[in-house]
Amino acid sequence: MPELNAEQETQPQATTESKAPAYDPNILPDMLPVYYRRLFPHEPFYRWLNYGHSEDNIFVNREISFTLQDDIYIRYLCFETQAELEKEICTRNPYKIDIGPVMNIRPKNFRSVAGGLTPVQRELVFDIDATDYDDIRNCCSGAEMCLKCWKFMMLAAKVLDVALREDFGFEHMLWIFSGRRGIHCWVCDHTARHLDARARAAVAEYLNILTYTNNVARVQIGDRTHHSLRRALKIVEPMFEEIILEDQNLFGSPKGVSKLLQMVSDEAARSNLEAYLQKSHEDGAHSKLIWESFVRYANSMRTSAANVWSRKLKHIVEEVQLCLLYPRLDINVTKGFNHLLKAPFCIHPATGKVCIPFSASAVGKFDPTTVPTISQLLQEINAYDDKTKSYMDAPEDKSRIKDYKKTSMFKGVVVFEEFLRKLERNFKTKSMDF
Amino acid sequence: MDFNLKKRARHDVKVEVISLEAKYPHNVMLYHYPPTEDIHIDEFEDLALERLRLLRVFDRATTKGLRIFSDDWKEYVNAEMTKDGLRGYLRMGMPSSGTKHEADVQMRRRDYLSHFILRLAYCRSEDLQRWFVAREMEFFKYKFAALSTAEIKMFLDANNFQIHPLTEEQKDEVKDGLYESTVGQSVSKIELLEFYKVPFTQVLDLVRTRRCYIKAGFAYVNTHDMVSIVGAKQLEEIELGMQAAKAFIADVEADERIARMIKSLHNSYTGKDYTVCRDESVPIESLDQLSKTSMPLCMRMCHEHIRSQHHIKHGGRMQYGLFLKGIGVTLEDSLRFWREEFTKKMDVDKFTRSYEYNIYHNYGKKGSMVNYTPYSCLKIIKEMAAPGDCHGCPYKTMDPTSLKAKLSAYGLSAGGIDEVMHFVSRNHYQFACGKYFMLTHNSTVEPTINHPNKYFEESQILMGNRQKRAPGPAPANNKLRTAIKGGANRSMLTGDDDDELWRIAETQEKVYQSQKGIAEAFDDDLDLTEIIE
Repeated sequence: MPELNAEQETQPQATTESKAPAYDPNILPDMLPVYYRRLFPHEPFYRWLNYGHSEDNIFVNREISFTLQDDIYIRYLCFETQAELEKEICTRNPYKIDIGPVMNIRPKNFRSVAGGLTPVQRELVFDIDATDYDDIRNCCSGAEMCLKCWKFMMLAAKVLDVALREDFGFEHMLWIFSGRRGIHCWVCDHTARHLDARARAAVAEYLNILTYTNNVARVQIGDRTHHSLRRALKIVEPMFEEIILEDQNLFGSPKGVSKLLQMVSDEAARSNLEAYLQKSHEDGAHSKLIWESFVRYANSMRTSAANVWSRKLKHIVEEVQLCLLYPRLDINVTKGFNHLLKAPFCIHPATGKVCIPFSASAVGKFDPTTVPTISQLLQEINAYDDKTKSYMDAPEDKSRIKDYKKTSMFKGVVVFEEFLRKLERNFKTKSMDF
Repeated sequence: MDFNLKKRARHDVKVEVISLEAKYPHNVMLYHYPPTEDIHIDEFEDLALERLRLLRVFDRATTKGLRIFSDDWKEYVNAEMTKDGLRGYLRMGMPSSGTKHEADVQMRRRDYLSHFILRLAYCRSEDLQRWFVAREMEFFKYKFAALSTAEIKMFLDANNFQIHPLTEEQKDEVKDGLYESTVGQSVSKIELLEFYKVPFTQVLDLVRTRRCYIKAGFAYVNTHDMVSIVGAKQLEEIELGMQAAKAFIADVEADERIARMIKSLHNSYTGKDYTVCRDESVPIESLDQLSKTSMPLCMRMCHEHIRSQHHIKHGGRMQYGLFLKGIGVTLEDSLRFWREEFTKKMDVDKFTRSYEYNIYHNYGKKGSMVNYTPYSCLKIIKEMAAPGDCHGCPYKTMDPTSLKAKLSAYGLSAGGIDEVMHFVSRNHYQFACGKYFMLTHNSTVEPTINHPNKYFEESQILMGNRQKRAPGPAPANNKLRTAIKGGANRSMLTGDDDDELWRIAETQEKVYQSQKGIAEAFDDDLDLTEIIE
């Protein structure tokens, strides 16, 4: 089976490269029905939210919400079975599907039950958005996202993934590219799903090291370097030159240099450093030169005598690196027990791209710019159908191979299946324990 | 807690046999078992108000931005406790001298009972509960910090904490992580310290601030941070207790005396009493000048609104009118002030019919004859101001842009505005007000603003116009009591039939006021049913 899949995976990609259709948001309503009927992975999607039925009502009390055309927003939906969910998705064809918490009761009964809805469990979620890197992105801004921007996301995913594994002992992280400019992480371990609001806030703040004062982001390492920061540094440091100095050339303008200066929290030290940099470089000198001077200056100041550089600023070089490359989390998403988050395999209405899972261990190879759009996917199955028509006439034969396996969305589904396989193995061993 | 006196009477005999010492063996107890003794309603209320004052000390310390357990924090808390007559609680936070005093044991009882009383008052809404739990935890840690190693051991044993330090081998396995990530201890000390391994969810405060080593979901906590583990247990205990309290609150409230008290408790004002200004009288002619020099922003804006619009809605009249009474404007002057302004837009007859009553009423000369208390900051901040209103706390109600413009118009420098806005953006309105005070008075001492009349008084003292008064005990205490007893000397707490009179007087005002505004108008200072929401 896997060999067969792999073979088919390469096929459609070859055909699409020749004539990749551009995505047109206006015809999205016409494409969505086909997408949901033929491509959306209903079965694995259900298996995920059902968690091997390890707890009562875990699927049926889950709040799902749909966003329909023209921003019509329907909340508090819930479904009894996979078939019902599938049918509802295929008839309503939502622009967006959001997943909320598992509630104490059926969410749709929220009006009729005294006391209302109380969330009982929910995946621990993280949201990282490229717009939060706007002040240090020179390549793109706002909603745009190129391969250079993706490197920020890549590092963020790596740092966060290892922290969740090593520090908190979580294993089941589902990483999703949101379809445009951000990434989501769903931590699905039992413990993570059952953390209360206070614990979520604590985890979020543990993982969030940036503090903003007057819109200037800073990191303070403190006296000794906490192991989580030391580990993050090991991941971030080797990429610093490539991303910040080469790709972005962040300090290559007077404005960029001032960004570097702002990260020095001590005023006197900052103006000394500024004078030093101005003396040694002309405006517009390359970031690499500026950075080298900065590191040299900080080191010599630190070792020369007891001063602010050897105390408060003794970790300044590491602090700057973390400040620029450590994940910039939207911690309110993580803190909220009730927060809705876009489901994987939705289509991003603005870009037409699939909101697709990726593997954190292979995040370096993931390319958001080649994530298929809905137009591309529909063309791929059409092409596949045409090609196989001659020797696959009978419809029952055709349905043997899942449609998404005929398209470039396949890789994302494989990642998802792999995630599910590990997750479900967990339930099997657990049920044997009892 | 059982409030049914008759049913309990028999059990009492047994309870009395147990000595207080045995019942309250430690200064720090987990508030697990609800108390079962009967207490007099007076004591009930005394205990509640005392604890409220205690928690407010911690609240002030937090609002001041002092880091918990820093030296400044301790100093501030201790000083405030002394000032507020909370020496008993203060002693609980001091290392015990070894000798046992009867007073200390009595204090433990007060601590224990009052905690459970306040649970009733604070289980009523999530906001209240959050405030209460946060303050209680601060107090708990404050007490726990004073325990000696031996006492901690006793405490752990008494409360069934099954935590054991890591063995040397276990510690050795994770020692690099411990050295790197244990904050606040030197490496040489870490070698000697005992460490405990607990699920990270038990020490969330340490996790949040990255103060300990965490591996695979377990936190490694040293003896000095033990308070986090114990605190988490206490927190759980209180939160469960609050849920339980919520479940039977309806029964408790069947007793009206208790219901009234616990409903109004959080917003009852425990500071100085400004109902009657005793020492000064302020001529209304000086109000224009005073509004510029000595009034906080909320009152200055009311004043300017009246001067420019010649009218002010009910909420503003209450807020500003009572404030004026508090600073020493006489009833006669007050009548004259409002009449002069209002009659610029309406005839004297209409003023007499519609508004005079309110002013008499505020001064306790009509209707219920209650001398109303000027609004405190708590009350004003809680006000919801609708468009066209000018009451409420401007730091809260105004949008930042207009607030900045206002401050700038009142002569604050750009830097000063930033300082004030710093607190506004963090929702520390009283702190922002204090900053405004410092800036406008060129004062280096930051006053704690919890009442507009206090602001005014501080300002006058600073300008040399008034003498500092010796801080007296809070008479709010007494008032609350008479109200609960339902005595003839009625206070702000009992306002129901009084509200009826209000309603009659107010109907004529509908022209100026929306229905909603009127509804709001009737909540006088201590009838705070709305805080339930």
